[in-house]
Amino acid sequence: MHTKPMIRPVKNSAWHYFLRWLGAGYDKLILWLTSKFFALGLALVLSFPKRYRMSHNNGIAGKGKLRIVDNPQFPEHDFFVPGRVFDARIRHAMATFLDDAMKGIRSCSIKFADTQWESPMDLECNTGEINLFWSAASFLKFAQLRKQQWGVEYEEYYRKYPQGIIGAQKALRKDATSYTNLRYYALTPFLFIGKDQIKRYAKYRVVPFDDIPETGLITHPSDWDTANQRITPHEPRGRNYLKDEFVKRVKEEGAHYRLQIQTRVANDDDNPEIFNNQIPWDEAVFPWHDLAIIDITEPLDWKESTLTSFSLNNMPKTLGIIPAKSIYDYNSLNYMRAHAELARKARLFSYKIKGFPPPIPDDDNRNKSDWDGKY
Amino acid sequence: MTEEEIEKIVDRAYAETKIRYPYQGGFFSPRLKHINHMEVGRSKIIQSWYNILLEWIYEKWNAFGVRYHTWLKRVFPRRNVLFTGHIDSSLVGQLLFAEPAKDNIPIHNMHLEFWGRTKFYQWRKFGECSSDENGKFRLEFSLIPTQAWIIKSTLHFEIYQTTDILCEKGRMVHKQSLFKTIPIKKSDLIGMEYNLRIIRLFLWQYRPDSTIPRVYIKPDGTDAPEEYPEGRVRAMTEQMIPIELTKVKHLLQIEEDPLSLSIAQIQRDYPKNLTVAIEEKLPGYTRGDDWFGIREMNGMNMSTFQPDATTPGEYWVRYFGACNYEVNDEYAFPTAEIRFRMKPNGLPTPIEIHLTGPLNRFNKDPFQKLVVTSSEGEKWLQAKRVARVTSALCAELDQHLAGTHLNTEQYSIAAHRNIRKNPVITLLMPHVKSVSLIDNTADKLLIQGYIPSATALTAKSTEKRAADLLGFQDWKGWKPMKVLSDAHLYAKAEELYWQVVTEWVDLFFSQHETEIKKEWLEIYRMSEDLVAHSVPLFTETVNWDELSPEELDFTKRRIEYLAAEYRMDLNLPRKKVKGTQKAISPITESTVFREDSDDWQNLKDMCRYVITTATFLHTWVNEHQYEDIGEVLYSCLGLRFGEKETGIMAPESDISIAPDATRSTQMMWFSNLLSRTEYGFILKNEQKDMHPEFMELLNAKKKEFAALKVNVEEIESRTNI
Ligand SMILES: [Fe+2]
Repeated sequence: MHTKPMIRPVKNSAWHYFLRWLGAGYDKLILWLTSKFFALGLALVLSFPKRYRMSHNNGIAGKGKLRIVDNPQFPEHDFFVPGRVFDARIRHAMATFLDDAMKGIRSCSIKFADTQWESPMDLECNTGEINLFWSAASFLKFAQLRKQQWGVEYEEYYRKYPQGIIGAQKALRKDATSYTNLRYYALTPFLFIGKDQIKRYAKYRVVPFDDIPETGLITHPSDWDTANQRITPHEPRGRNYLKDEFVKRVKEEGAHYRLQIQTRVANDDDNPEIFNNQIPWDEAVFPWHDLAIIDITEPLDWKESTLTSFSLNNMPKTLGIIPAKSIYDYNSLNYMRAHAELARKARLFSYKIKGFPPPIPDDDNRNKSDWDGKY
Repeated sequence: MTEEEIEKIVDRAYAETKIRYPYQGGFFSPRLKHINHMEVGRSKIIQSWYNILLEWIYEKWNAFGVRYHTWLKRVFPRRNVLFTGHIDSSLVGQLLFAEPAKDNIPIHNMHLEFWGRTKFYQWRKFGECSSDENGKFRLEFSLIPTQAWIIKSTLHFEIYQTTDILCEKGRMVHKQSLFKTIPIKKSDLIGMEYNLRIIRLFLWQYRPDSTIPRVYIKPDGTDAPEEYPEGRVRAMTEQMIPIELTKVKHLLQIEEDPLSLSIAQIQRDYPKNLTVAIEEKLPGYTRGDDWFGIREMNGMNMSTFQPDATTPGEYWVRYFGACNYEVNDEYAFPTAEIRFRMKPNGLPTPIEIHLTGPLNRFNKDPFQKLVVTSSEGEKWLQAKRVARVTSALCAELDQHLAGTHLNTEQYSIAAHRNIRKNPVITLLMPHVKSVSLIDNTADKLLIQGYIPSATALTAKSTEKRAADLLGFQDWKGWKPMKVLSDAHLYAKAEELYWQVVTEWVDLFFSQHETEIKKEWLEIYRMSEDLVAHSVPLFTETVNWDELSPEELDFTKRRIEYLAAEYRMDLNLPRKKVKGTQKAISPITESTVFREDSDDWQNLKDMCRYVITTATFLHTWVNEHQYEDIGEVLYSCLGLRFGEKETGIMAPESDISIAPDATRSTQMMWFSNLLSRTEYGFILKNEQKDMHPEFMELLNAKKKEFAALKVNVEEIESRTNI
């Protein structure tokens, strides 16, 4: 029979320490280069020539107030002062496709300010308690294997990476009745250094103010059809139905949300898997607490919605992203997002040169992800 | 002459014909390439000097390749050390047998490893696991070590197979061989699971076109699931060269002038066999009744003596000839039923021979009968020869081919397909290896080669007959042959051997009880494969309503006799698969071991049966061939009808009914090939794959076996020729 293999021991001589230090530096360099090249690539391929965001082009924004709850149940923090009120914007969008009736990830981005960009804090949340990728490396593979055609995508990615298909089935939404009844998760955790100076990690999510049922869930997922994001064959709703619903709702009654937080104390021997966005923290141990109430009272037009941009760099230092060690580190996902600034600048620059992309028309260009209606 | 004097002469003849023929060829001597290159015609023997030179260069090149790979292994060893850290990734997938694809049969307990190589070609191991009962696997590993810059861009997912069991320092160890490597792009690994999906392995596949459970080997011999050990090939080459050259010489002479070569000359050119040697000293003895009785009882045939229903002390030995199988017009294959009377010395003497079926080319009635008694002089001699020839072909097909070779192969396939972790593999594998390879060779040499050209049977009917006979063979209820007298050496030896094997299997099972029970699923799956692929019980295949009265009587006699010959209890309840009752009984019907069942004893019985069949039974029928079919005129596998009314009832001097020159030299070549190319004996343990305890147990009975004229040193450990 087979003898059990020996596990290679960790050697602690000065030489091995030096080698490890060198290796760690190399890994970080690769992460930095990857993030920079990715942003540059995005700027050169999508943002400037096509006036695209990385993915969530199909969106609508609104503005209103964000008020930190009066009696926080989470550890005290200098930024989240009880009762503190921020002007706020949120933007709902759908990943990649320009057709609200398609199956896809929906997002809710929050800005703690009523501006297009400057803000003390931004958060970017998506539907699904887990997602389709978990690190910079996995995100790049995800992007590489999109291979979208006719509204079908990631077929090969799903075949190779079973976790991707599980994530897709949990995160994709179809036939939602409103952006305002979905649940949105920031997924990868952030730093949280509160008043007690104890290092913690935090996860955020956005839920409807009232505990109303979530719509658009994929209730009976099929492994064979997850890659198919096309609209239902006799779809009566138009390409903008969710955005239209949002505008109408905000005008009539406003949109109301709760921003919630989970925190946990950091330990030296934490299992790296606590940063893995595919593994939600146990709610029984780390319950969700209300952080703020968001009331959106005024919809923003297409142009303002398009100009409103979010960044993980917009965060207080004590709430920033967790440093990543390599492209395989689960925290590299936020690291890479934070380094995508160049792409945003390229997009805004392209608006100046080429003008604004027009709103999405309610026409028969269904199942498309390009402005011009081409596949 | 007294019995003792005769025995001394016979013993001398034995000693004389035991001579070995060590090969002492020089550089430019002809050489034989491989067992697979054996042909009943001219084997691929290379004789011209430039071919020998080319072959020499090729061999050197091969040897260089082997040395280079050995060197590579030494310079870049695969150390069993895991490069790992936080386990955050896994390779997942499922192993299935390639065929039948629609059935999706899982391959359980396959050992899997995950390796990478550094840019300096050193090996690094990242993880290992086994497939589960559904063939599914999850090989966990740490991502970071696989992504180190020093690791080359292709990683190796490796599937291993146990190809041998070897004794190292007194312990039996599994020799694992790489079965298949699946390359994985380093950059495809991104953490979490990487899905290798369904991997179909062409591993010990059943041949789809055969009713007999056979392993699939491509027509060109490639894709065989196992390999002959080098020593086996060498033994074959060294011992067969002179024999092969004799055959080639004869074939060339026949091509030039067919009438120039007499059977006597052919006989002289081959090494002397036992009957020839005895005839030199005691002319006529081997054609006499005493010798006939001795050989039927203790010779290659090891006949089953069925007590006569009415007369005590009288027995019947029956050899069923052509039956209703397809036959040609050239050769006779009558049924021979021989009545014996037991002599006071415990040996049988023939008193009556009943021949059923055509004896000449004119009367085709399959139920014509000729009864000859021992008082009929020349006619009695002729009848004995006819009976000898029928019994020789029956021994070759029914006992040798179907009873040992094909019988063992079905267990070999089922064991190789299913047993990996269960210790039973270390018990069985040393005895069941190589049989599928030699059976594949037998297809070409025997079934499609010699049999259709030199006997009444065709290739198709040989296969049909073999399938029918397997329908009489089951491990369940098998018992050694009943000893009829003190002179019944074969039955005594078989019983003694069975005792040794029983003792050994009991010991092995007590040593490994916990593990055998723990890995019971493998036993269950082996049993399922065995039963599912088993041929139907013979009685199931008979269309009783369509038989004429003669056929009915004949078939009943045949069934009763064959059941006794193969020691099969036809009345045992047997499992039905898809409506057909199978010959082989299940060992277990449970995926986990159940104490309240007979399964433990069943498994032991099956192991005892397989070991005995593959070793002792095969050795017996195989090694005695040269004694009993090593003299063309004494016995062969088929007598020709000839042109005369008398047909095969003619004296040995009538050459027109004997095999022709080509068949004669081929027959001599064949019996030499089978009896004289031994390799892989239990006690010689050439391959170091025998359990020391088994060897000790057998060796302890050396004297007892010697008293039965069995040299324990010469019992082969497996069916490999
Ligand atoms: Fe054999």
